Amino acid sequence: MSLPKITHLPSARLLTSFHQHRQQLLHPSIAPLPAPRRAVIQGQYRRPGQPKENKYPWQKINFNFLKGVEGIKKNFMLLKKEFFDPWVGPEGKPVLEHMLEQNRVVWEFRGPESLEQWTVSSDREIGGQSEVYLKVGKNNNTGFLYGTLSSTPPRDGETRYSGYCTMRSRQLMASFNRKKHHDWTSFNTLHLRVRGDGRPWMITIGTETYFSHQKDDMYNYFLYTRGGPYWQDVKIPFSKFFLTHRGRIQDNQHPIWLDKVNTIGFTLGDKADGPFQLEIDYIGVCKDYAHTEEFAYELYKRNPEV
Amino acid sequence: VLRRFHSSPVCPKSRPVPTEFTNQDGKKRDTSLVTHDDLFERVAQDVKTKATFNKVVDLFIKADVRRRGHVEFIYAALKKMPEFGVERDLAVYNKLLDVFPKEVFVPRNFIQRMFNHYPRQQECGVQLLEQMENYGVMPNIETKVLLVQIFGEKSHPMRKYQRIMYWFPRFKHLNPFPIPKELPEDPVDLASFSLTRIANDRDAKVTVYQLPCTDITESGEEITIPHIVGIQSPSQIEQLAQHNPSRPVFVEGPFPLYLRKKCVYYYILRADPIPADEKVEEPYDPERCLDYPLQLDLDLDRDLGDEESFDVEDLDEGPVFAMCMTSQGDQATLNQWISGLQQNNPVLGQVPTLFRLEAGPKELQGTAETESGHHYGSDSATQREERQPEENPDIITEEEPRRSQGMKL
Repeated sequence: MSLPKITHLPSARLLTSFHQHRQQLLHPSIAPLPAPRRAVIQGQYRRPGQPKENKYPWQKINFNFLKGVEGIKKNFMLLKKEFFDPWVGPEGKPVLEHMLEQNRVVWEFRGPESLEQWTVSSDREIGGQSEVYLKVGKNNNTGFLYGTLSSTPPRDGETRYSGYCTMRSRQLMASFNRKKHHDWTSFNTLHLRVRGDGRPWMITIGTETYFSHQKDDMYNYFLYTRGGPYWQDVKIPFSKFFLTHRGRIQDNQHPIWLDKVNTIGFTLGDKADGPFQLEIDYIGVCKDYAHTEEFAYELYKRNPEV
Repeated sequence: VLRRFHSSPVCPKSRPVPTEFTNQDGKKRDTSLVTHDDLFERVAQDVKTKATFNKVVDLFIKADVRRRGHVEFIYAALKKMPEFGVERDLAVYNKLLDVFPKEVFVPRNFIQRMFNHYPRQQECGVQLLEQMENYGVMPNIETKVLLVQIFGEKSHPMRKYQRIMYWFPRFKHLNPFPIPKELPEDPVDLASFSLTRIANDRDAKVTVYQLPCTDITESGEEITIPHIVGIQSPSQIEQLAQHNPSRPVFVEGPFPLYLRKKCVYYYILRADPIPADEKVEEPYDPERCLDYPLQLDLDLDRDLGDEESFDVEDLDEGPVFAMCMTSQGDQATLNQWISGLQQNNPVLGQVPTLFRLEAGPKELQGTAETESGHHYGSDSATQREERQPEENPDIITEEEPRRSQGMKL
């Protein structure tokens, strides 16, 4: 007994009245991605009203000499790093440090090159009017995410809710565009130093999945900011993250698997229209020996068959 | 009213509905094809309250025992709820659920259970619950009873209700800085509440420097005097007392603070961080705490496995000395705040104060690189506010609100 498919894709809802974004990576210049022609399982979001692109896959390759040269440079630098890193130790750190690490700073905002690890996206892709920008803070010491939220839904007949802004980290890449993952198995808490304006944000962690159905699986938790001129240290144990798929919290929950973490993101979707800002100092993971909880939600099967 | 949907209208199980029923309230009996939005729009000319909303729902319920078109009516009602201001009212949702005819949509055998019995009505029920979830309304036992009566136990709306009842209690009290549902209306109370929230210190004291009032001057103009509420904690007073009088302090603002949907603005008084060479490390006073020694001179080594701090350089942005909230953020009001602060911090009389007031996405300004070149020499003399003449007149330079240099929106 399945409910017929409801076409309100972008009106993804979370059970705590937050809006969740569609997981799309965009360049900071926010150009809408053309929808691919053959999408097996609802691959990319097709904005209602946009015609289907009738390009063959080989027509989409863009040949450019300069881009090629840059690509070669980048890839060979990465290859060199990969070759010489194991001489120092696993993952470029000495063995003892790798084994006994208690705290690791994963992302910090020092200087404009740290902005390249992040991408922002907002309502605008589905036709809304929210804006979001990311820049380095004063003295090049923090990351400053700011913009305006507007929850008027786009008038395309399909979307019912709107108004979200997100910032998401890019996938780590090894040489020659291979995916690399974060390995956080020896840690159990996420530690952030942020300064918000009192709005509640949502932290989303995307892990590497095997099946294509799991593509939009995200592990979420809330980030409540206090506002004010003082920095706020937020410690969230990984056992608190709950599983959502396309913004809807799932029935079958399980703790997040930390061995192949791909991305982390911050979403704002509280329905308060107006400007917002969030300053981030660093994002790190740490091991809290006092935290022994394995998972915060029940693991039993909640929808047993009739 | 329990009645089989599919029984023939010929058998007179109940009285036929009197035709003049719908003519109550003087509303015209419209036989053309109208959507149910119309009912609400006709009421829209009157005051939109919960009572009128309930009246419209009652009207619909009484109009037809079979509740023809109840799905469209419920969708229209859900859309109109925010206009009537009842979107957070559980009683109204229960009443709206009551519109569904009972026991008709409950599946009676395994085939009906298999094939998504009455899908449109189930979808409508799910949408109703979704709007409840959207506005954070917690359903109660009456909702559950209604859902069981209408859809049965294994239906989609019932599943949605179970999910709400599972997750809502878990997420309700997660906010470490909770905001009450009813914010205080009085601006002074709201300001003191939000200042205690951002102060980060339990000992911080809120002082109201000025209460709001509207005055009418002799020339007949109305002048509104804004409220000024400030906050300062004892440690901030100490820090300000140790501040070097030759360094300026900055009044920055307005910074936004959101409380649920409401945005308030606050201003801060801060100074630049002391450069490393001027930092004086005061030795711990052993008599400050007699229970245990504050400084231990042990020669213990910490191993790699005991490292508890992150490998990031500490951001020093300078101390914040006080915060305030006011409805009008111009220099005159802020000067009043500074003079009010001066009673507790006499050093403010000698320290030059710079005002950096600009709108736009706000961050604490950095160090000296942000000095703008817009210094008006003689103009500022006329706009300068002199403090009380007893103290040494200090230089209050004014930086006019800087035009955005491409950094802000």
